[in-house]
Amino acid sequence: MSLHHHGVPREIRGARRSHLSRRAVLAACGAALLAGCGAGEADSTSPEVEALSSPTPSPDVPPTQVPVQRAGLPTAQAVIRPVRLRIPAMSLDAKVDAVGIDARTGDFAVPPSVDRVGWYRHGPGLEARAGSIVIAGHVDSAAQGRGAFFTLRTLAKGDRLTLTDGAGRGYGFQVVGVEQFRKTRIPLERYFARDGAPRITLITCGGPFDESTRHYRDNIVVTATA
Amino acid sequence: MRSSTIVRVLAAGAATAAVTATAGLATATPAYAATSKVSVVHGIPATPVDVYVNGKVTLKNFQPGDVAGPLDLAEGKYDIDLTKPGEAIDKAILSVDGAAVPGGANISIVAHLDAAGTPKITPFVNDVSKVGAGKARLVVRHTAAAPAVDVRAGGTPVFKNLTNPDEAKADLGAGTVSADVVLAGTTTVAIPATDLNLAEGTATIVYATGSAEGKTLGVVAQVITGLHSAPGGVPSGDGGLADDSGVSTWWLVAGAAALLLALGGGIRLATRRTGR
Repeated sequence: MSLHHHGVPREIRGARRSHLSRRAVLAACGAALLAGCGAGEADSTSPEVEALSSPTPSPDVPPTQVPVQRAGLPTAQAVIRPVRLRIPAMSLDAKVDAVGIDARTGDFAVPPSVDRVGWYRHGPGLEARAGSIVIAGHVDSAAQGRGAFFTLRTLAKGDRLTLTDGAGRGYGFQVVGVEQFRKTRIPLERYFARDGAPRITLITCGGPFDESTRHYRDNIVVTATA
Repeated sequence: MRSSTIVRVLAAGAATAAVTATAGLATATPAYAATSKVSVVHGIPATPVDVYVNGKVTLKNFQPGDVAGPLDLAEGKYDIDLTKPGEAIDKAILSVDGAAVPGGANISIVAHLDAAGTPKITPFVNDVSKVGAGKARLVVRHTAAAPAVDVRAGGTPVFKNLTNPDEAKADLGAGTVSADVVLAGTTTVAIPATDLNLAEGTATIVYATGSAEGKTLGVVAQVITGLHSAPGGVPSGDGGLADDSGVSTWWLVAGAAALLLALGGGIRLATRRTGR
């Protein structure tokens, strides 16, 4: 009952927002009808999210205390990898694969199966005290239909998500920003930073779809903090 | 009571002023006086030392196999002296006068043996350019009293004919590689295979140290972090099912325009009719 009650205003909020953005697009298109449509929409960024990526200043070490370390060969750092992502507001419960870079393209290797999402194993894991833990998933695919992150763009500030590690321990986070960028302008360094506040970054595709190239124009970025 | 409050306020004011003054000093440091990150690497076997920089002791009882730093040093010339622990600087066992530290660089100053086994100091400039996403940089420096060597990864020579005090480097896929060192052009192992964990976005600098003759060959490693890059992009959809606005809005606008045209035509038609 309370779940249902909670669900209703969310739906309305989502609907109103998409209606608003559609109206904005319509207005822009109306103004630029002769110039042609589709070029007007600006990236939507969040200053709060931007603030999270500023690195914390390192403490000044007095010159007499030079850090000295035993220079043995480096060993692998213990990283806690997420294995499951739950986002109740999207009715999402997805497996998380550890992924890296597509060697052919240099792009993020999003898991081919669209019902799974990929955690960037080169960045921080759940143990992170700084930096961005990145998880990307498909919005959809031509072959498999809707992806795990199909409704990612409908998330709103305050929505909750839970990542679970291999030992079954849950880590809770809350959405602090939903942003949209053209892929040509997205500041990826900020979202793949290993400094700044510890945070979760969820990424998928969005915006207008180009039928000829089979690509979405934009990326949707959701940022959450503990 | 009142006076104590005033004192406190004054004290707080003074503290603020002091902080401001310090901040002022910090910002007053000219931007063009670029500092360099300087690390000190000890690769001389069985010889702990004190390190003096410009006559001032900077590291005490610095042990073989240790890496100190990085220190922020302003661009300029530096005198470096190594003494036995606790001994005076005039009894230095190794001295370099006027070692040049360029501005804005990342440098490793390495105390090591030359090919003939004599202690020396060699500065290396570290390549701290970004590595591609998913990559790690491996740098190998020959700082041992040993002849030319090949470095093998997984049994295959990757760096060939490396001599003291030269370096070789490559950006590789991040992960673990099994590496060993053999005499150049041979399969005679000088330093047995070890697993090297090359973390993504780092430079791992491996120094071959010690002496072949003294049977003290070994490795010292230094890791520089923060060289990672972001992936080229995040392609995560090719279905078009989530297409927002683009096409549908275009049709809405086109439809509205068509409607307006039709209406305009209708009105014109109507006007014409009434006109007649």
